[in-house]
Formats: sequence, structure tokens, C-alpha cells
Amino acid sequence: MTRLLTGVYLRRTIALVIFLGGWELLSRNGYIDPFYLPPPSAIWGWVQGQFATGAIFPHMQATFGAALIGLALGIIAGIMLGFTAALMPYLAELLEPVMAMLNAIPRVILAPLFIIWLGIDLSSKVALSFILVVVLTFFAVYNGIKDVDYRLVERVRTLGGGPLVLIREVYVPSVVAWVMGNLKVAVGFAFTGAVVGEFVASARGLGYLLSYAQSTYNATMTMALIFLIMVFVMILFTLAGLLERHLLRWKYA
Amino acid sequence: MLTIEQLSLAFGRNEPVLEDVDLTLEPGRFMSLIGPSGCGKSTLLRAVTGLQRPSSGRVHLNVERKHVAFLFQDDALLPWRSARDNVALGLRNQGRSKRAARAIADEWLAAVGLDGFGDRWPRQLSGGQRKRVAIAQCLALQPRLLLMDEPFASLDAIVRHYLTSDLLNWVERERLTVLMVTHDLEEAIALSDQVVLLGNGPRAHIKGRFDVPLERPRDLVQVRTDPRFTALAQQLWRALSEEVAPLASGIGRPALKVVNE
Ligand SMILES: Nc1ncnc2c1ncn2[C@@H]1O[C@H](COP(=O)(O)OP(=O)(O)O)[C@@H](O)[C@H]1O
Ligand SMILES: [Mg+2]
Repeated sequence: MTRLLTGVYLRRTIALVIFLGGWELLSRNGYIDPFYLPPPSAIWGWVQGQFATGAIFPHMQATFGAALIGLALGIIAGIMLGFTAALMPYLAELLEPVMAMLNAIPRVILAPLFIIWLGIDLSSKVALSFILVVVLTFFAVYNGIKDVDYRLVERVRTLGGGPLVLIREVYVPSVVAWVMGNLKVAVGFAFTGAVVGEFVASARGLGYLLSYAQSTYNATMTMALIFLIMVFVMILFTLAGLLERHLLRWKYA
Repeated sequence: MLTIEQLSLAFGRNEPVLEDVDLTLEPGRFMSLIGPSGCGKSTLLRAVTGLQRPSSGRVHLNVERKHVAFLFQDDALLPWRSARDNVALGLRNQGRSKRAARAIADEWLAAVGLDGFGDRWPRQLSGGQRKRVAIAQCLALQPRLLLMDEPFASLDAIVRHYLTSDLLNWVERERLTVLMVTHDLEEAIALSDQVVLLGNGPRAHIKGRFDVPLERPRDLVQVRTDPRFTALAQQLWRALSEEVAPLASGIGRPALKVVNE
């Protein structure tokens, strides 16, 4: 705790206070047009109001729901596809170019298609989150298994381990390591998918509020939402980091 | 214990690495395999363990697979398993419960001088300690045949000396049969009953068998001053030089000549 009050953290806090204070002052005294750049107090006020009335909760629920479902499904499917492709070269032949293409394009351009296919409800957002995460996870797992330390495979085999033991002792831990190494990126992707999906077309969610704020030229609301999304993603990053440090404790010890 | 008959082994369509290798290892004997680097010593050992399929010929093991242990050159342990679980792995593969395997693993860790290190991750251990874990991993299976591929090559001289003598004590006590690959000629003589020289590859085959006329158990330091030791060392040097000479152009040759004289 004391570390937070000294050194780099102290300097960062001071810088932030000066930045926000200056912004507030300039905005209040008319040097900046609050229509374009509302003061921090106004942004914070909007956030407070939303939480006080609870108006934002259904939107948070929608976005978190879509992001987390997309994340979970994307990771599960990515692991399964990556695993099968790594063990079945014929499947890999077909799957790899498709995944490589999906990897190369900005996958959010698929949003309109998912809305046409799945409607404006939750499922199209889940689909976008999913497609962002699944490609990332697929490559992490596929390359992870192909690059598995062959010495470890031989070691386990000479110690009498069969295929099941190999999977348990070598492949699964390797895959966990690769997936966990990519978990933060995946969380970011999942949130991006949900918010962009909502932004394009929906009736609920932080992305929907964002598109509403934009269409009404409400800079306060827009900036407040950007701030909120940042905070949420940071919280999820921290949780993902904790999970990674726990599951990969052999690496960090 | 182990018989290799007319073994040939090629990687893909390349010229065979090994050709017509014959080898017999009697129970209770310690055999060392030496030869120029790259001649196929590791490959031969891997063929014995079944990691590599011979192209022709056969490997006959007069012992159950589960009684054969292989100590690799590098000490790659499972990085995500504790030292204890790394040792326990082979025991669990033999059908023991997790708890029983771990209890035995702890005893073996203590036996190799790593009492209390069971909870460490491999990356928290030094190179010598990891090698000890690998040794415990092998010995915990109570093998009857121990195969070793340059087991101590990567260690510094002192650690190497102590690990070698510890392992040798164990070999003596259990009358283990050992086949060891090494590039260290003196180590080969000091430890073994018989030194086998594998010739140059490709198409390497056995170029010579040398019985070591020294009774066991031996003192690893004392034995090197024995006249019989030095005589055999010279003889082996000469034989090995003949194999290395065609490989070494200019640079290697003068150095080897000095030793020959
Ligand atoms: N997996 C492999 N594929 C192709 N060639 C190999 C492979 N493993 C070893 N070799 C070749 O076989 C020869 C013998 O290798 P190795 O048994 O490791 O030699 P040593 O242990 O005697 O130094 C070398 O020429 C090496 O290049
Ligand atoms: Mg070798």
C-alpha cells in the first residue's frame, strides 16, 4: 500500500490530478466549449446519476452477458478446433486457411452480417464476440500443440505414459499456458465484439447507449460511456491476470 | 538382459545412420558406448527404448519395459509439475494411487539429496538439482536396466563428480545393468566393465569392444591412477582417434597426435 503513495504511482496521480483539474478549470471558464469537451465533473455526474437510478444496469447486463458468453464459447470452441486440427492434419489443411483469412481481416466487419442472420438481440453480439475470440484461441492452441516440447512427450512416454497420460501431463498444460497467455487479449476482443455489435444495431447495451449518445450529439454521455467501458475492461483484465498467475504459477513462482 | 542384432537405422531416405550393429549386455554389467560426436550413439539408445524404430534388425530386451529407465542428456522435467509430481509420474503410470506415488516420490527425493524440495517447480531448481530429480524419476521405478545418454555432460565438474559417485553407489547396491552413452573416455573406463566403440557415421557399426580389467566397486578418484586404467585409456584413445581423424582436417589432427605419443 505504501508503494502506491510513492515513486511512479505518486507522480502519475499528481499528473492525473493536474490534467483533470486543468481540464475542469478550462471548461468552466469557457476556454473549452463543453459541447465538444464537457468537464470531468459533468462526465462523472452522468455516471453517478446512472448508477443512482440503476438505469445503466440492464445495459451493463446486456454487454457483459454478450461479452462473457462470447468469450467462453470462443475459448471452448477455439481449444477444441485447435486441438483437433493439431492432431488431424487433414482437418488442419482445411481449417488453417479459413482461420488465417478470418485472422487477417478486421473481424468486426462481420457485424452487419450477424445482425442480418441473427437479428438485433443478444445472439448477434455473442456471435461477434465469439468470432473475435475463437480465431485468436484457435491459433494459440494450434500453434501451441504443434510446438509442444517434444522432449517432454518422449520423457512421459519412457516413464510409461500412454496417450491419455500424455494429454493430461503434456498437452493440456501446454494448451492452458497458451490460452492463458492470450486471455487478456481475448477479454479485450470479447468486449470489443459485444460493444461494436450493439453499436451497429440493438435495443440494449453499452454500445447501444453509445450509438444513442452519438446520434443525439451528447458528448458528456459519449465520454462517460467510453470511460465506463475502459473501467470495465480494466477490471476484467485484472481478473484475467489473477487467473493467469494462478493457473501458470509454475511460471511465475 | 539386452541383445541388439544386426540393427540398421535410417532417417527417411537418408543414408543409414547405423548399420549392422550387434551388441550384447549381460545382467549386472555396466557398459559404456563411446564414439565420435554425431555417429549415432543417441539414436542407438533411442532404438533400445523404442523411441526410434530400427529399419531392420532387432532389439531384444530380456526385461519388462517397466523395468527399463532412461536418463536423458538434458533435464527436461514437466515445468508445470512440482519436483514431487515429476518423480511420481512414472509411479502413477505403473498404477499406483496419487497419494502412494507422492509418498514414494518424497522418499526418492530425499534419497537423491533433495529432502524438502518436493514442492519446488523445476524452474526453481538449479541444473544439478534438476538432474537429481531426473535421477529420482528413473530410480523410483526400481529399474533393472538403466539407459543413460551423456547424463552429466551439461554439469560442472564438482556436481558431476558427486552425482556420478552417488549414482554409481546405487548401481553397485542394486546390481543394476547399465548402458551409458558418453563422450568422456575416462568416465567410460572409470565406470564400466566394458567399453564399446561405435565407429564413424553414416553406416556406423561397432568398431571395438574393450573389457575393463578393474574390479568393482571402484573409487572414482583412485581408479584413474591405476596403471591398468591408463593403459586402457591410451589404447582407447588410439582407437577413437582413428575414427575421429578422417573427420578432423588440420585442426583436430595435431591435438590428437600429441595424445597418441
Ligand atoms: N530425427 C532425426 N532426423 C534426421 N536425422 C537425425 C535425427 N536424429 C539424429 N539424426 C542424425 O543421426 C546422426 C546421429 O545422431 P545422434 O545419434 O544424435 O549422434 P550422437 O548421439 O552419437 O552424437 C546425426 O548425423 C544426426 O544428424
Ligand atoms: Mg547424442
